Amino acid sequence: MNCQQAEEHFSAHLEDTLDYQTLQDFESHLTKCEACQGEYARFQDSVNAVQQLPQIEPSPYFMSALQQRIATEDRETGSLKDVVTTRWQQLLDAFRRPTWAFSGAIALILAAAGTYFYQDLRPTPVAPAPRTEQIATSPEVFPVQQSRRVGGDTNRLLQGSVISTPTQPMQQRYMLKQVSYTTTSTSGGL
Amino acid sequence: MPDLDDELMERYQKGDENAFTLLVRRHQQPLINFIARFINDRDSAEDLAQETFIRILKAANRYKSEGAHFKTWMYHIASNLCKNELRNRGRRDRYRVDNVVNSGNDRDGEAEQIDLIENAPANPAFQPEVALERKELQNAIQKAISELPEQYRLPLVLRDLQGLSYDEISEVLELRSGTTKSRINRARLMLKEKLKPFI
Repeated sequence: MNCQQAEEHFSAHLEDTLDYQTLQDFESHLTKCEACQGEYARFQDSVNAVQQLPQIEPSPYFMSALQQRIATEDRETGSLKDVVTTRWQQLLDAFRRPTWAFSGAIALILAAAGTYFYQDLRPTPVAPAPRTEQIATSPEVFPVQQSRRVGGDTNRLLQGSVISTPTQPMQQRYMLKQVSYTTTSTSGGL
Repeated sequence: MPDLDDELMERYQKGDENAFTLLVRRHQQPLINFIARFINDRDSAEDLAQETFIRILKAANRYKSEGAHFKTWMYHIASNLCKNELRNRGRRDRYRVDNVVNSGNDRDGEAEQIDLIENAPANPAFQPEVALERKELQNAIQKAISELPEQYRLPLVLRDLQGLSYDEISEVLELRSGTTKSRINRARLMLKEKLKPFI
């Protein structure tokens, strides 16, 4: 044990809380080191001096002053004893603290900003084109499985599936025809 | 078996007003001593002690005896109030170093003068020179304590002036036991250096 280590054990030795091994090391160092002996003696003296400081007594008016203060608080905030201590009240109390109030405000701002940006990023539902007319349905709209489930004339339904052949008459084939009025020529008009 | 403080708190919770008065009577002196020694200001110590009791009163319904002990709870509240006071004061001015000595011991001083006259022939400890020396040493110690950093001063005052155990101090300061012990040892070492000219 060196001097610095010995110094760390001054209080524990003074209060007799060192374990056996540390006590042996400490005392063996102290017997060899005169500087530490002196420091430890002064350490003990200063601790004793602090512990012997006189106790400061309350003034004779302390109790009456306290009672007066309690009465004042009672008048201002209602009876102190009847202070409501529900969970809600405790929560509100917490938010009255500046740190909590600030954190709460930040959380609200973040939540509002998050909602705003989420709405911005979300894909907007495709509105039906106002001037577009769907004449026929594409074959994908009626897959084969769906048609089979219906039962009935399977052959006819199969004809309306993806496996349509070019030999079939035009009116039996599925095709998508769109007419856009917005691109129609105005023939020199407006 | 619950200790007397817990019993008094329970009684107060059930409506016994006298129980709280008894609690104040039991703790007013050590509490004022603690605050005065910690903030080095006797006048403010009484105000802060009153504030501590009012806080206790306000939170009385929430107090549960199986939680923290009343004494450590009281010191915890008082410590926080003292820290706030020092912080506010630090903005205004520096600590009033001599307040405890000048105003706090005025009554003791008067009492001592009477004692000196009555006891001087019989008891050499009451010789004016001895009393003066003792007073100077006390002032020096109080000054040295007030100059310690707050994190060392607080556990030192709780240990060496209030006589709390290491466990109680750890509870008050919400520190690990090892940290409390090392801070107290460090505080005592610092104090030893500051008191070198006197001891």
